[in-house]
Amino acid sequence: MLDNFNRFVIPNLGLFMDGLTITVRICAIAFAMAVVMGAIACLIRLYVPVLRYFAIAYIEFSRATPIIVQLLWVNYVWPELFGFPKSVEWAGIIALAIQSSGYLAETFRSGIEGLARGQVEAGLAVGMTRAVAFRRIVAPQAVLVMAPSIINQFAVVVKASTLVSIIAIPDLMYDALKVVNQWFEPIEVLTSVAVLYILTIFALSATAKRVADHFRGKYGLDAQA
Amino acid sequence: MNNAVAEQKPILECRDLRKAFGAFEVLRSISFEMQAGVVLSVIGASGSGKSTLLRCLNYLEQPSSGVVFLDGEPIGLRRQADGGLKPDSPANIARMRAQIGMVFQQFNLWPHMSALENVIEAPRQVKGLKRAEAIEIGRHYLGKVNLLDKADAYPARLSGGQQQRVAIARALAMQPKVMLFDEATSALDPELTGEVLDVMRALAEEGTTMVVVTHEMRFARDVSDRVMFLHQGVIEEDGAPAQVFGNPASERCRAFLSSVAH
Ligand SMILES: Nc1ncnc2c1ncn2[C@@H]1O[C@H](COP(=O)(O)OP(=O)(O)O)[C@@H](O)[C@H]1O
Ligand SMILES: [Mg+2]
Repeated sequence: MLDNFNRFVIPNLGLFMDGLTITVRICAIAFAMAVVMGAIACLIRLYVPVLRYFAIAYIEFSRATPIIVQLLWVNYVWPELFGFPKSVEWAGIIALAIQSSGYLAETFRSGIEGLARGQVEAGLAVGMTRAVAFRRIVAPQAVLVMAPSIINQFAVVVKASTLVSIIAIPDLMYDALKVVNQWFEPIEVLTSVAVLYILTIFALSATAKRVADHFRGKYGLDAQA
Repeated sequence: MNNAVAEQKPILECRDLRKAFGAFEVLRSISFEMQAGVVLSVIGASGSGKSTLLRCLNYLEQPSSGVVFLDGEPIGLRRQADGGLKPDSPANIARMRAQIGMVFQQFNLWPHMSALENVIEAPRQVKGLKRAEAIEIGRHYLGKVNLLDKADAYPARLSGGQQQRVAIARALAMQPKVMLFDEATSALDPELTGEVLDVMRALAEEGTTMVVVTHEMRFARDVSDRVMFLHQGVIEEDGAPAQVFGNPASERCRAFLSSVAH
């Protein structure tokens, strides 16, 4: 066991770190895009009546399609239809971003709608426009309320990203499978890779949770369990 | 009220105000004028339309018809060159609202801001004051509600009475022409209503123009200059406290008053 670990994991650590770098990069970019796209979809759904049904259709579509279908679709169909993405990495990023944006849009909506209506009215009553009330009152609180779901969604992206290897992006999972298929010794390699994924997700979640708890504590709101 | 005062231009005027939710008429032709410096209490049974009236006064609720004038300017509507009225822009509506303070039953403080930040938020964001200037104003009004020592506390750490006083300071910090209070003490434990009523009484004595929806009959009788009784969206009684409480013309008002007297 230790022998296998020394033979298959240790010598490939450099490779796995390269894969992990790609995984983190893909996830970070995809998630950042998902936040922006989700916010736009949510704001349109809530505040732009004429485009509301487009936003709903987009949200439902992105959530209802399996990630693997989106991956293949963006990677093989988009270049034909739209002339991009130009690389498999971007195809992976876009597919992950589309899927997550749908979930995030719904998370944002519940955060915004859950906020007591009275707080916005208090803003309007002192002369704020709706835009100012949104920026100063709704958004900061919605982010706090939604922090746990947003963190969770990031973990979902990291997990879903293990599928991008099927379009030949050399992420951590891709490298792991390469080593496994070379030596047919899956136990140590896959276990080590699982630990790397767990550590990555845990490190990100713990950091985000600490930031959110800091503000909740500062405002005297109960820290999330 | 003497003649000199009566001849002044009203600070607030409601002209044939109506409000319906669907087919349900909540306010049915409300008309009244109010002079600056007057404290007007609005009383009436639950569901009679008191909150809706206040919310129409600052256009949180859009009237179905009729006009509210603040200091001669129509709210939510804009005078056209030909003298007609057209719907106003959101920015102008916000500008008018900034001149009307409102205190809510549920306080509605912003929980992610300290007491002082709550109070300086509108002077900063709406009036565009510099931070130092806004803080000076904020501290002045927090002092007025006896909460200077709580300037840095967040709402969750304040009692209901303290929160409501911060909310009053927040409204005052915009130096509004009129203050609206919607059952400001109804959500408070009985032992905390006193500190809020004391602040309101002090404001009244300073000559603040106030429209006070209240269930506190003693406050209405002792502090206001004028009392209005609302019944199913109609002003049934409107007069000096002594007259409304002592000798109401309306039978319904008489019945309401005896129902709330213990
Ligand atoms: N947004 C609304 N939609 C429908 N009905 C409403 C709305 N707001 C108030 N009402 C109704 O209008 C009536 C008067 O309400 P309100 O003004 O809150 O009365 P009060 O403050 O005197 O208790 C009530 O019957 C209430 O249910
Ligand atoms: Mg009410």
